[in-house]
Amino acid sequence: MENKQPLLEIRDLSVVYPSKRGEVRAIDSIFLNVEKGGRLGLVGESGCGKSTVLHAISRLISRPGKVTCGEILFKRKNLLKLSSREMRNVRGKEISMIFQDPQTTLNPVFHVGEQIRESLRLHNIIPGTHLPWPFDIARKRQEKERVLQAMREVGIPSPMDRYATYPHQFSGGMQQRALIALALVCEPSLLLADEPTTALDVTIQAQILNLMLKINQDHHTAIILVTHDLGVAAEFCDTITVMYAGRIVEQGPVDDVTMNPQHPYTQGLLACRPVISKIDQKVQPIPGNVPDVIDLPPGCAFAPRCPQVKPACLEGPIPIFQTGEKLFNRCLAQVSYERDPLWSWEHIVRQCDE
Amino acid sequence: METTPPTVQPTNRLIHLWSIRLKLWLRDTKEFLRELILHPTALIGGIIVILYILAALFAPQITSYDPTKGNLRDRLKPPAFIEGGMKEYPLGTDAQGRDLLTRIIYGARISLIVGVVSVGISVLIGSILGALSGFYRGKLDAIISRFADLLMAFPFLIFAIGVMAFIGSGVTNLIAALIFKGWVEFFRVVRGEMMSEKTEEYVEAAKVTGRGNLAIIVREIFPNIVQSIFVLATLRIGEMIIMEASLSFLGLGIPPHIPAWGSMVASGRDFMLVAWWVSTIPGIALMILVLSINLFAEGLRDILDPRLKTIA
Amino acid sequence: MKAIKILERVLVSIPIMFGVAIIVFLFMRLTPGDPVDIMMGRGGAVSAGEIEKLRSEFNLDKPLHVQLWLFLTDAVKGDLGYSYVQKTPVTDLIRERLPATIELALTALLFALIISFPIGILSAVWQNSLLDRFSMAGAFMGISMPGFWMGIILILVFAVKLHWLPVQGRIDFDAQLAAGTGFFVLDSLLSGNRAALISSLKHLVLPGFTLGAGIAAILARVLRSSMLETLRSDYVVLARSKGSPEWNVVLKHALRNALIPTVTVIGLQVGVLLGGNMIIETVFSWPGLGRMVVAAIFQRDFPLVQGSVMVYAITFVLANLIVDILYTYLNPKIAL
Repeated sequence: MENKQPLLEIRDLSVVYPSKRGEVRAIDSIFLNVEKGGRLGLVGESGCGKSTVLHAISRLISRPGKVTCGEILFKRKNLLKLSSREMRNVRGKEISMIFQDPQTTLNPVFHVGEQIRESLRLHNIIPGTHLPWPFDIARKRQEKERVLQAMREVGIPSPMDRYATYPHQFSGGMQQRALIALALVCEPSLLLADEPTTALDVTIQAQILNLMLKINQDHHTAIILVTHDLGVAAEFCDTITVMYAGRIVEQGPVDDVTMNPQHPYTQGLLACRPVISKIDQKVQPIPGNVPDVIDLPPGCAFAPRCPQVKPACLEGPIPIFQTGEKLFNRCLAQVSYERDPLWSWEHIVRQCDE
Repeated sequence: METTPPTVQPTNRLIHLWSIRLKLWLRDTKEFLRELILHPTALIGGIIVILYILAALFAPQITSYDPTKGNLRDRLKPPAFIEGGMKEYPLGTDAQGRDLLTRIIYGARISLIVGVVSVGISVLIGSILGALSGFYRGKLDAIISRFADLLMAFPFLIFAIGVMAFIGSGVTNLIAALIFKGWVEFFRVVRGEMMSEKTEEYVEAAKVTGRGNLAIIVREIFPNIVQSIFVLATLRIGEMIIMEASLSFLGLGIPPHIPAWGSMVASGRDFMLVAWWVSTIPGIALMILVLSINLFAEGLRDILDPRLKTIA
Repeated sequence: MKAIKILERVLVSIPIMFGVAIIVFLFMRLTPGDPVDIMMGRGGAVSAGEIEKLRSEFNLDKPLHVQLWLFLTDAVKGDLGYSYVQKTPVTDLIRERLPATIELALTALLFALIISFPIGILSAVWQNSLLDRFSMAGAFMGISMPGFWMGIILILVFAVKLHWLPVQGRIDFDAQLAAGTGFFVLDSLLSGNRAALISSLKHLVLPGFTLGAGIAAILARVLRSSMLETLRSDYVVLARSKGSPEWNVVLKHALRNALIPTVTVIGLQVGVLLGGNMIIETVFSWPGLGRMVVAAIFQRDFPLVQGSVMVYAITFVLANLIVDILYTYLNPKIAL
């Protein structure tokens, strides 16, 4: 934790999908900070917009969705202001992604090794002059060497033999390792992991998380881990952001958020997690369903399911309160909090409309 | 729905059961028609197809000319809308002085009959054989499937031309030739569906309740695949009509004394330089019909079976 | 292994070819009417002895299964019998006409691919754009339009009205082209005959386009729908997240996968190509196999019809074999 300067800073980011029934605010003025080598966890139920945050960072929001306001500062450059060519140079080289379902994410018709090598080729990682296709043997060999090295590092056994095989010949865990190798081969400084363990067996999950942790420590690659599993995030991350219906509800260092959650939603998430050490426990599900993001209640989005709801919660937008040095919370349950003008929701709304 | 009192006679109960079925069927049909009307292309296609069918049915009432006898004094008259045309012949006349509009209307009869009958019988044969093959498998399936594979080795038009070459032209022969290969596609679709549906749970459930195999095929499985067959059949009608016209164009399909669009186009070729309308206008009639059938079929597919979208 | 898979496909297609031959044979023999009577029908009065001689010459006096066996063994040797009308071996007649037909078919295929690929790809990339709507409407017209009629319209517009292109035939009468392979484009290239080259290319445009247009319409639709599917896939997102430029994403990652279903359809369209061949050759008086078959049907020259239909069917089987092999190469999941 010697480097505390921010690598990625997201300010007031909103993403909107137009739909027949009206605009869908997939994410609604998000603020995030990721330090160099930091590990941020984005936690929430499916549909809360956590994956959209990752897609927004790499500017891969699928049409017709678009970023309506805010800025994404990566190494002090606003990614939203880059030309598409500049953005392409960032993608894969500086910011890489790994995905939920490795089986459908690797291209089924190309060799795994070649897919990894394509990243190197696209970003001209191997220095020196580059000859066109039939004469590029020397460069190809160097690139292949790098690919094999990356495959070895992520723990793919006998990478030499695996280089020229197709994705369907890999197991799910191996496919995810290959995808991690692909993401890391250009040594990016930020890795966006979108539920990387959800589609895998539990034993494989732990291996993949350990691998990511090792990479985080060895290469100082910052990681944003998107997961629906607060436990996974608690094990892996140093900072946790809990999202609900496209909004941040609680954010802070992992110990504060998991040991002493302030927001009722976070408390609910923790309560509905089974813990193996406790015998005869009761898992408590959060009552109700994930809200429809098209017509959210005017006040707190969680209010309809909240056990501690108050009349004020339903009236209007809830501001975010700073409750500690790095601790934020969007809840009126404990009104004694002092209101932070910078983070107030009303302020954000005004800024967006301008 | 109100419940039947327990004292009702068995026959009454049966009537009641069927009245419920009828109501459900009517409701589904109404829903389907509503969707069809809301689907713009299907609606347009459907209306044009219905107009063709009406014209074909009431051909003698619509036109007073004889489609086979012409007035040689009025030969090769251009359509009424261009210079030299006569009001009596709205689409002009052919080389024998026969009214083109009349012949086109009568030609619609042949095209529609060939298309609907050949597809209809193909569906019937293909479905029965496909159901038996797919449900029972075994030797019967092996024999029919090999035969179907062999027929698949022929391009459709080549096969039809070959068959017509040997059995000679004529409406029945033409329909027979088209069915001879046309059933194969429906056989393969039904057989495949049968094999996959057979393993589904609802079929297992029906078996457990002691239903016979035939009842399972007809009452349980068929309702699940009938929509895809219907969509496919509609698409094939257009293809069969083109096939018929192509064969008639070559002189191998409908004999010359019966007005058919394909042979009309062919007969106009010799006068292309002086009377372009003789061969082009019947083709336009043909294209509009096939286009409308296809539009209607695509609409049906969107409503009934969106899954088929990737096939054709 | 790929090689084994390919060998398997080749082996499977051999009995199919025999089956095709048997069906063609049966059709001919089970048709009412004695072949010799048909032959004699145009020859005038012939003695009973001569008829007997002819019967034994064509093996018609032997039982059906022997006839079938003789037909098959002859066919394997490349002997498809004698034309009733022209009194020459059917194989020779077919061989003479085949280059013209192949030249036309390849041109049509080329047209079909050149038209359908850009349209199919761009319509998927710019889904619901003006280009997409127009070309898909065009493709829909294309599949609803009979080839013979389209040919006539094109002749009327481009040959009769505008005089840009010739009405019919393969080459101008005055183009002096020395005999060679029978492929006029190739021959004129080899002999350096510029006038003949231009003339034969001009003659190819209309029939080639007419034959290819219907196929292009179907291919464009299939390619578009499979591209729409692959463009939505996870691996396309991965390719973008790697920093791939968009053309690379479309042409490499999406297209390569969309080719798999498209190639199957191309195989089926070869059947349309062969069948349409007869029609288009008739429309444009193209001196190829298709026109010969149509003429032979009217002359009741059954051996010629039988032999040609068999050549068509076997070409179709072989084309599908090639497509199958191509498919095996394109789809790595098949290989294991």
